[in-house]
Amino acid sequence: MRMMEIIPIIVFFMGMFGLMFSKNIIKSVACLVLMEMAVIVFILGLSYRAGVLPPIGRGLQYNLDGIADPLPQALMITAIIIGLAVTAIDFTMIIHLVRKHKSTDWNEVKALSRESFDKC
Amino acid sequence: MLTYFVLAPIVIAVFLYLFSSNKTNRIIAIVMQAIITGFALYLLLQTRQQGEILTFVGNYQGLLGVVLKADMMAASFVLLTALLFLVVAIYSLHEENSKLFWLLMFIWEGLLIGIFLSRDFFNVFVLAEVATVVVAVLIMYDKGRRNMFDGLVFLMANTVAIQFYLFGIGYVYMLTGVLDMQAATDILATLPRENLILPYALMMTAIAFKAAVIPMYSWLPKVQGIPRAPDAVAALLSGLHVKSAIFLFIRFQDVFAPVASTDLFLVIGLITAIVGVVMAVSQVDIKLLLAYSSTAQIGLIIAGLSIDDPYSHAGSLYHMISHALYKVALFLIAGVLSGMYGTRDMRKIKGIFKKDKFIGIAIVLALLGITGAPLFNGNVSKYFIMSGADYVVNSLMILINLGTILVAIKFGAMLFGTPDESYVGKKTDKSSDVAIYALCLMCFAGGIFGEELMDFLFNAPFQMSFYGFIEKIIILSASWVVGLVVYKYVFADNKNQAFFGRIRAIDLNFRGICVSIGAFFVVALAVVGFLS
Repeated sequence: MRMMEIIPIIVFFMGMFGLMFSKNIIKSVACLVLMEMAVIVFILGLSYRAGVLPPIGRGLQYNLDGIADPLPQALMITAIIIGLAVTAIDFTMIIHLVRKHKSTDWNEVKALSRESFDKC
Repeated sequence: MLTYFVLAPIVIAVFLYLFSSNKTNRIIAIVMQAIITGFALYLLLQTRQQGEILTFVGNYQGLLGVVLKADMMAASFVLLTALLFLVVAIYSLHEENSKLFWLLMFIWEGLLIGIFLSRDFFNVFVLAEVATVVVAVLIMYDKGRRNMFDGLVFLMANTVAIQFYLFGIGYVYMLTGVLDMQAATDILATLPRENLILPYALMMTAIAFKAAVIPMYSWLPKVQGIPRAPDAVAALLSGLHVKSAIFLFIRFQDVFAPVASTDLFLVIGLITAIVGVVMAVSQVDIKLLLAYSSTAQIGLIIAGLSIDDPYSHAGSLYHMISHALYKVALFLIAGVLSGMYGTRDMRKIKGIFKKDKFIGIAIVLALLGITGAPLFNGNVSKYFIMSGADYVVNSLMILINLGTILVAIKFGAMLFGTPDESYVGKKTDKSSDVAIYALCLMCFAGGIFGEELMDFLFNAPFQMSFYGFIEKIIILSASWVVGLVVYKYVFADNKNQAFFGRIRAIDLNFRGICVSIGAFFVVALAVVGFLS
């Protein structure tokens, strides 16, 4: 296994452990972003592997040895943008919940939002 | 050609959004839906003739570009998607929804069709992730109706699951150098088995989460049970959204054929079904009852797909269609009922037959569908699922169907009795009745022409044997008798209510959902890596 494979796996499961054990909503979002970043680093790391030719550019008169595969970068730009949008929506909801319930604790917010729902 | 199926709903959505949302626009939406449904039918006929239709997006031939593929299975599900959105559009004709509602609904349709047609791993990721966001906004877009907390849990848990999928894509790309499912299937088949274990476990964790199997099912009832979320969204979540994940499950089991574990998913499917019926019969909330019942049917479908038999496989595919039809019908009925009685508590809804015979008959039809009564679509699909199963699995499936019958009896109990003062009267809109009846008649037609439809939709020319059919009817009647006795002495008994209350209280919080995702991943990795 290469370094570029091991480190993202470790970071990914660190994020997963964080999600399993953090009681705070903001920390959970941070762990989620950590997982996203691990995946992005992993796939970007696939760009250059010795002996692998990029899928495009073969018709050009350049020497393709040592040229990185551009596809993972293109994919990860998309993934980063989607991740950004989702994180933004997450925080929109969290801001709303925090303003309403004055808490960022999963259990407290859950109890409070159930309570406020029963009232209406 | 296939690109238009993805783009058309989205373009229509934007146009309808730009021009204000009055009733004319909703009628235009229905007409547009009908046109899309017509084209989907045309696509299915074309696929039947040609076998497979490919579209190279951007005209990049070969593996450079993105490929959309319509085979029989994909075309059938595109038709189902278009049909169900048409029915839901008719149902919501008189509802004063905001403009955003229709925008998001049509975009959701385009995304789901995209998932069914796509042959590219990364495209599926983008479409599934955006569909998650669309659903999250749909269930709480309205300021008066918001329930942020469950929406947040839904969105975050789905994002966690999709990260596993993206990691899996990375591995597949590392191993094969392609993102096209067809090419990846061919290349992965030549690689050593141990290289595929980790990507398979990663991807299946995400797919199983999206398909809402045990232990990760709890997000689905949570979202569908959100108070005052639009009825149509809850209906389509278990009718279509989850089906798209099961569709991907079928696709990826083929892609990872060298490592694909059928035993694991057979066991998981059966456990999901059993847990689903137990949870469903304990509920008192009409929508939660239907939501957990969906979990049970999903388990049955996953189990059927994991039985190595062409009959069970075709039966499961047909059950996906059957389940979509009667579950959407029941969810829409639940929406009408909660409007009629001003509550979703099944203990307070009584005497539907006395108040409204029309909706009462629709309930009977849909319940006959879900229990697998003869002449209804559930019967055909469940017959074929069980015909390929061995003795143990067959007995378990009979037990699960007994549970489904209990769910139906519990739902049907609302038909009788005398309505109390909670009855507030019915809104006078014919369109929702039309939609519900259209679905119920489709359930009926799906039973009478079941074999023909299976051949038409999935190219599965199987016949039911006469003796098998008679055997089925005997088992079913016996199950009904047992179900009625159990209902009378266990469920209607006041002494047992505390026990059911404890089952109802079982609820995973966000951390619990994350632990279950991690646990599923570890189990999948262990089973695929060491046990098989």
